[in-house]
Amino acid sequence: MADAEHEVNGTEVEDDEQDNSQKKSDVKRHDGGAADLERVTDYAEEKEISAANISSAVEQFGNQRNKENELRVAKEKELQKVQVKKEDIELIMNELLVSKAQAEKVLREQSGDVVAALEAIISN
Amino acid sequence: MPSNDPLPPKEGALFRKLLKCYELKQYKNGLKLAKQILSNPKYMEHGETLAMKGLTLNGLGRREEAYKYVRLGLRNDLRSHVCWHVYGLLQRSDKKYDEAIKCYRNALKWEKDNLQILKDLSLLQIQMRDLEGYKETRHHLFTLRPSQQASWIGFAMSYHLVRDYDMANNILETFSQSQNSIEAHDYRHSELLLYQNQILIESERLQQALDHLIKYEPQIVDKLAVRETMGDLYIKLQQQEKAVPIFESLIRRNPENVLYYEQYLAARQLTDPSAVVAAYRVFQEQYPRALCPRRLPLNVASGSEFRIVADEYLRRGLRKGIPPLFVNVRTLHQKSEKATTIEELALQYFENLTRSGHFSREDADAGVPVEPASALVWTALFLAQHYDYMRDTDRALEYINVAIDHTPTLIELLITKGRIFKHAGDPVEAYVWLEEAQSMDTADRYINSKCAKYMLRANMVSEAEEICAKFTREGVSAMDNLNEMQCMWFQTECALAYQRMGRWGESLKKCHEVERHFAEIVEDQFDFHTYCMRKMTLRAYVGLLRLEDVLRQHPFYFKAAKCAIEVYIRLYDKPLKSEATIEEIDIENLPPSELKKLRSKQRKAKKKAELESAQAAQAQVKREQHQKSKQQANQETDPDAPQLDELVADKLERTDDPLEKAIDFLKPLQQLAKERIETHLLAFEVYYRKNKLLLMLQSIQRARAVNPSHPELHSCIIRFMKSLAATIKQQPLNDHVQQVLDKATKELIGNRTPQQLNDEFIAKHNASILHLYEGARSLYELDHSKRAAAIKLVTSFNLSKMTLEEAIKVYTALRDGDVFGECDSEAAAYQQACHERFQYARVFRNVEELEAQLQEKEAAKLRAEEEQQQLNHINFSSSEQVSDSVTAAAAS
Repeated sequence: MADAEHEVNGTEVEDDEQDNSQKKSDVKRHDGGAADLERVTDYAEEKEISAANISSAVEQFGNQRNKENELRVAKEKELQKVQVKKEDIELIMNELLVSKAQAEKVLREQSGDVVAALEAIISN
Repeated sequence: MPSNDPLPPKEGALFRKLLKCYELKQYKNGLKLAKQILSNPKYMEHGETLAMKGLTLNGLGRREEAYKYVRLGLRNDLRSHVCWHVYGLLQRSDKKYDEAIKCYRNALKWEKDNLQILKDLSLLQIQMRDLEGYKETRHHLFTLRPSQQASWIGFAMSYHLVRDYDMANNILETFSQSQNSIEAHDYRHSELLLYQNQILIESERLQQALDHLIKYEPQIVDKLAVRETMGDLYIKLQQQEKAVPIFESLIRRNPENVLYYEQYLAARQLTDPSAVVAAYRVFQEQYPRALCPRRLPLNVASGSEFRIVADEYLRRGLRKGIPPLFVNVRTLHQKSEKATTIEELALQYFENLTRSGHFSREDADAGVPVEPASALVWTALFLAQHYDYMRDTDRALEYINVAIDHTPTLIELLITKGRIFKHAGDPVEAYVWLEEAQSMDTADRYINSKCAKYMLRANMVSEAEEICAKFTREGVSAMDNLNEMQCMWFQTECALAYQRMGRWGESLKKCHEVERHFAEIVEDQFDFHTYCMRKMTLRAYVGLLRLEDVLRQHPFYFKAAKCAIEVYIRLYDKPLKSEATIEEIDIENLPPSELKKLRSKQRKAKKKAELESAQAAQAQVKREQHQKSKQQANQETDPDAPQLDELVADKLERTDDPLEKAIDFLKPLQQLAKERIETHLLAFEVYYRKNKLLLMLQSIQRARAVNPSHPELHSCIIRFMKSLAATIKQQPLNDHVQQVLDKATKELIGNRTPQQLNDEFIAKHNASILHLYEGARSLYELDHSKRAAAIKLVTSFNLSKMTLEEAIKVYTALRDGDVFGECDSEAAAYQQACHERFQYARVFRNVEELEAQLQEKEAAKLRAEEEQQQLNHINFSSSEQVSDSVTAAAAS
């Protein structure tokens, strides 16, 4: 243990120097493999592109995404409106050995009709 | 950084240093720093520091402590994004990606625009194929850093992966417009252009793709890809004339690419066989050394034209002595007309070569110079392989023996002889020949592997391992080394050998090892998520993602999974006794002679077991050493790799729930190997045993979609009906389930009873033994009193019209008694009949006969060894004398 501590003390000076030169420290690196690969190719990440057109593009793509989200939310809402019975979900799970999430999803998609839901999974 | 529990400047500086140390992998320093902060009584419970301490410990491989500290830290500071992020990183290093994603999401709750966390999250989402989530995260990153190139690429990629091609293309298009200067030979830019082109093609906008390609051609450095894609697009856009010169130049570049010829013919719009052959003739002239233009016409030509091209092709191959000549033409044998022509030609060569040394009488008459002497051997080999393919064992052996007599040292001949025996059903004789071949060239890895494989077919696992050891790393057991190298063919063959021997646990172990290789391959993707995006190798990256999605479609996985499922089903049907009870056999009721036999058997077994356990102990020591050295090596490269449980054969075969384990192997098959009917038949066997009626129905319907007349499907339907009736008898089904079943069974068999269905089936398929077998099986299944009729149905089938595999299937069913009940006398009679029909097949031979043969062989081997030793002795002493005289001479 004493040895180890000694070693630690030995390298600390260097660390301080490194630390001073690079204050930015929020970045954390992980896994050996990925990190090593990154180090080798640390290149394009910070390459900036010209500012022209960008803001309008960002806005345009943002709008597009909002539309998509709205559609998705609407669809989900529609599905959530469907009344499903807990026992139906359990029946599907038990008979077809599927997860609860999947059973519920299919049941909602079939507007709560349990026979249709069973058939949908079977013929899938 | 913002925190709910901020440290004062001094400690804050220490904490930042701690982060730095972690990043630089100076874990010991990091621990020291953490200790410094925590030793201050005011900050003993500082959450972020505790969490970082845990993460640092993880870096040192102290996993349990790591979890303890990270969780403690998190509990002390639940509102810190650092703590959540750290917890996520820890889970991720433990490969618990689902959990890690949850942690990152929590972290983002407290700091929603943290770039690093978002990037980490996106990696996990793509690894887990949460494509919607990935899109979300990528968009977030894009809005945060729209000025960075990587943001655009990732954003476009996320749309491409959910097949929203328009949006993906829009993003890339906008991006490329905002780029100002392009350097010459910029590989990344070039790849990006090709990636965009790929998106256009996938969205079926071919004209746009072509225009794009033409426009940017000067900037793209991968010229080959440009040519190939352009040619393909011209054909698809009905501008064939423009594609012709492209494929001509591609063929010039590589005259052995089959695809180029296909595309060339499509461009020329040639379909008439003679015209196609003529086109190939031109290429033959142009590229006299290329094989493709000679081999490909054989596929399209027919009749007399086929005879001409085949004649040329075969003569050339036999003259040069091309060993895989038969393999090259084997696919042609699927057409019987072509097989006959090939046979006639080869017979003609053989006859004339024997007589005059020419391929034909015309050659001899014309005074053409004689062919090389080796041509006769290659022709005989070719004929042997041909007859082997036709399963005419006698003739195949006749020709291979001629060849071996002519040139006894040619390894290919011995391999072929072994293969003939393998196909004739004698794996032991087969391996003997392969071993002989192997001994002739011990430095050849191909023959080494072949020999190992044949040994495994003969259930000789340890011998196979020994053979393989000649090429594995020294100092490690061959089995471990082969596992490490993911040598899956070997492991699968081992699993099958153990399955045949009834060593279920060992078999399962091998299957699980193969399954782990696949898991590892999926795991290995992770590094590429960052690497490919940076290197801009986007086409290859998308290819990789799509490959990984269907990875378990690979035949290696299918084979191993099928074996595992079969073994688990077997273990469910006949569970193993616990180890203690195995020994207690009912000794008292045995007659003395039997008892004696049993005792000597037990003694032998015990001796063997002792020997084996001693060997195993040795191997264990070796393994541990190896493990240790591996761990040390791992420590340096990848301290995060989680330790997998060791696979123990005894535990595997005594699992509590074999069917659940079987389902684990089945699931990927159901998803990825839908087109193989075995998948659904196996699924049926599992669900039949779980008595899940709807899932049985599902398997039947899926199997029917693949091949409605598959014989085994019939027995599935009958057993399904039987289960259905039995279940209803016990208690009425749920109304909804009943409704589904009623409708489906009506579609399946109408109003017929299972008996009627079976009778019809037997009448309809009376010319196919495999169908009759299933019919007979169902006959007995439905009514046990019809046993004699059922057995007669299969045993009376004309044996000369059956293949070896079919006969083995029927015979093993009779012998094992699990299909028709005990029927030893019928089995023995059938065995005798089969033996006459398939004289080489080992299963049909008597045990005594085989043992006598084996002893004879052992004795011969021993004699040979003794002789060799004597010979060695003589050689040794004489060489000693020589060396003595040499030294004497030197001394004088």
